[in-house]
Amino acid sequence: MMTMLGGEPFLLVSKQEQQNYPLYIRSVPSDSELKFHYTVHTSLDVVEEKVSAVGKVIVDQRELYLGLLYPTEDYKVYGYVTNSKVKFVIVVDSSNTSLRDNEIRSMFRKLHNSFTDVMCNPFYNPGDPIQSKVFDSMVSSMMVQTC
Amino acid sequence: MSRQSNRTTESKKMNSELFTLTYGALVTQLCKDYENDEEVNKQLDKMGYNIGVRLIEDFLARSSVGRCHDFRETADVIAKVAFKMYLGITPSVTNWSPAGDEFSLILENNPLVDFVELPDNHSNLVYSNILCGVLRGALEMVQMAVDVRFAQDTLRGDNVTEIRMKFVKRIEENLPAGDE
Repeated sequence: MMTMLGGEPFLLVSKQEQQNYPLYIRSVPSDSELKFHYTVHTSLDVVEEKVSAVGKVIVDQRELYLGLLYPTEDYKVYGYVTNSKVKFVIVVDSSNTSLRDNEIRSMFRKLHNSFTDVMCNPFYNPGDPIQSKVFDSMVSSMMVQTC
Repeated sequence: MSRQSNRTTESKKMNSELFTLTYGALVTQLCKDYENDEEVNKQLDKMGYNIGVRLIEDFLARSSVGRCHDFRETADVIAKVAFKMYLGITPSVTNWSPAGDEFSLILENNPLVDFVELPDNHSNLVYSNILCGVLRGALEMVQMAVDVRFAQDTLRGDNVTEIRMKFVKRIEENLPAGDE
C-alpha cells in the first residue's frame, strides 16, 4: 500500500487483501507520519468495502479510481486500487481547494505508472518496500506541485 | 536451407518490455548464483561472446556489408548497421584516439536498462556487460581482437552510456576459434 499526504500529501501503497502491509509511505512534513499511518490504515477498510461493492454491481471494471473514501475534519482521503490489488491512498488537507477530483485522479495515474516501472525493475522483489530513487523523486515532485 | 527465406534485411519487431525483462531476469539470476559482481560481469561477458560468435554470421548474411578496410569503417558499421539492426538504436562514434585504434560508442539510451535501478550492494556490477562480450565475439570471428569495456554507464549516474573499444591486433587466418 502507498500513501501520500497533501497540502501535506501523503501516500501509501499496499499489497494483498488480507495482509495490508505498506510498500511505501511518504508524507510532508514527515514528523506527522505516525498519525497518517493510522488514517491510512483506517481508510483501507473503506477501500475494501468499495472494492467488494464494485464486484457486485458490475461497474466499469477498468475504473481503478475509487474517489473520495471519506472526509474527516482535517483531511480528505482518496483511494485507488489496481487490478493486482495494490492500493494507493492519498491524504490531503481539507483546506487545500486546489486539488479537485480530476487532479487527484491524474496523480493516481502518475503513481500507478511509476509503480509499474518500479515493478519492472529486475532488482525489485514484488512485496518488498519500495526504495527506488526514481519513484522517490517522482513522489517528491508531485508533492511539491500540490503544496 | 529453409531458413534462408527468413533472412531478410527488415527486422522483426519485438516487444521491448519482454526483451528488457528477459535480460533483467538473466542478470538478477546470475547475481543470485554468483557471489560477487566481478564474477557476474565475467559470466555476462562470456555469454555475450557466445552470442557474438554466432550473431556475426547472421549479421553478415543479412546486412551484406563487405570487408572493412580500416577500424574506422568497422566502427561505423557497428554503430550504424549492427546496433540499428539488433537493438534499434544508433550510438554515436566519438573520442578516437590519435592512433585511430580506440574509440567510444555513446549510447543515448540503452534498451537493456529500461526500468533498472542498481541497488547499492551491486556497485561493481556492469549490468550491460553482455554487449561487450557480443562485440568482442563478433569481431573475433572477422579476425579482429578487440578490448571492449564500459567507460560510463547511466546506471551509475553518468549522463550517457559509453562503450570503449580498443583494437588489439589482427588475428591471423586459420586459427581455430576459441570456444569458451
